[in-house]
Amino acid sequence: MTLVRSDATPVIESRSGVPDLEALYRAHAPTVARWAAKLAGPLVDVDDLVHEIFLVVRRRLPEFRGEAKVTTWLYRITERVARESRRKDRFRRWFSRARHLEIERTMAPPHLTPVDEFERRQSSETVYRILDRLPGKYRNVLILFELEELSGEEIATLTGLKLATVWVHLHRARARFIAEMKRDSGRRT
Amino acid sequence: MKEPMARGRQTDADERTPIRDRWSARPSGDSDEALAGALLRSAAVVPPFGAKNLADVAARLRSRERHLTRRWAWQVAIAVGLLLFGGALYAAVLHILRGPSLRTLPAAVPVSMPASASVRRPHAVVAPPPAPALLPEPEPSSVVRAEETHAPRLAFRGATQESVATKVSLEPPPALPPSPSALAQESRLLAGAIHKLRQEQDPGQALAMLDEHRARFGANGALEPEANVTRIEALLRLGRHDQALGLLDGLALTTAGVGREMLVARAELRAEKGRRAAALNDFNSLLSADAPPDAVSERALYGRATCRAQMGDGAGARADLENYLSRFPTGRFANQARTLIGK
Repeated sequence: MTLVRSDATPVIESRSGVPDLEALYRAHAPTVARWAAKLAGPLVDVDDLVHEIFLVVRRRLPEFRGEAKVTTWLYRITERVARESRRKDRFRRWFSRARHLEIERTMAPPHLTPVDEFERRQSSETVYRILDRLPGKYRNVLILFELEELSGEEIATLTGLKLATVWVHLHRARARFIAEMKRDSGRRT
Repeated sequence: MKEPMARGRQTDADERTPIRDRWSARPSGDSDEALAGALLRSAAVVPPFGAKNLADVAARLRSRERHLTRRWAWQVAIAVGLLLFGGALYAAVLHILRGPSLRTLPAAVPVSMPASASVRRPHAVVAPPPAPALLPEPEPSSVVRAEETHAPRLAFRGATQESVATKVSLEPPPALPPSPSALAQESRLLAGAIHKLRQEQDPGQALAMLDEHRARFGANGALEPEANVTRIEALLRLGRHDQALGLLDGLALTTAGVGREMLVARAELRAEKGRRAAALNDFNSLLSADAPPDAVSERALYGRATCRAQMGDGAGARADLENYLSRFPTGRFANQARTLIGK
């Protein structure tokens, strides 16, 4: 898969060079939603997150000068909003577990049977529990590579990192992931 | 040393190696990578962000203003609530740390009490008038002996604490001004003493509170002059005239305002104790040419007449009594005066 897939609609820019929000939303909202869902994990409401992201986009749009790619710019906003959402989510867990489960049910792919859905949810929770123990820079690179299935070059473009740095982060993220996975399974058995 | 560095460089080189295969694309197996791949595959499945979601979020973006306003209102409400709670907490802590506030002070200072209401000296017992021939024989016990329950109501009740402080030069001012909290405590004590004395008619308790005031603040208390005046009043009510006179003797009194009331009290006490010359001086000070025709002048005139009679000055006593009757024909001592001069 590629970075922009089928939603690679060219962004309509106004005469001043500032992209139009409506066009930006139409072209990139599905991609942003996918990034958001994968970066934030299963316990978030993707609609809410996309809404938050595009609110930031609207506010920051006049500042966008086209020095970076639109996708890079959008990814950075998505990454920041998702990180903030995870932080808030950790706080919310103190109050209600039920709410999270309810949100997760709304996220469940409709084609799964209840048993499949249960297993998927268990696995998904495990993956994000492990990912959350990784440093942010490793976590995000691993998500983009393994879950979003981007190439190293695409990740470098999106994150603004050097390609070599992407590979270093990915190697280290994988090593940490295996270590944390073993620790997690050891703790559960 | 070189070997670990070389190994470090080797590690770095390995870490820069591009990764072409994804764990999530590997077939199931028992290796760590295969297990990790299976886990990651399950997390890679996310529901699509369909047209309905797109439309919903777009609608919410269009109603952004209303959404933000509602959230902003909540934030303001919470902030105001926190502010009020914090303020209340702060006030409570201040109240606890500083002790009782000055709330009791205004009630303790009888600002609006009329001065004339308390200047009178009712039920004063004066010795029967000696005949002119008998004037040289003084009767020490007959001088201005007041009943204990009433005689101490000599003065000061009508005076505000402020007027006492400004019109009577009592003690030298304290060297260092006390801190506000100390002043508040001092005020509380003094207010309590005045309340006990004047509202509850309990001079003993008032004196105890004044003793506590003196023990805590000593001569440096900012309200020491006011405390002194209250103490004199309490001592007089308790009939402890010697102690009251001791305090009054130490004061430099003026003939203005409350000072006049204290001066006439001192003169009467001095006369009572046989210190007639000193009493006469005080009476003379009070009966200067510009003295107002008030209750103090009335007491002073009658007191001076009695004092002169006891000192053998029959003519002076008669002149004062006649003066008294001319100025206060219906005064409290008018009957005694008429009896004394044989009218």
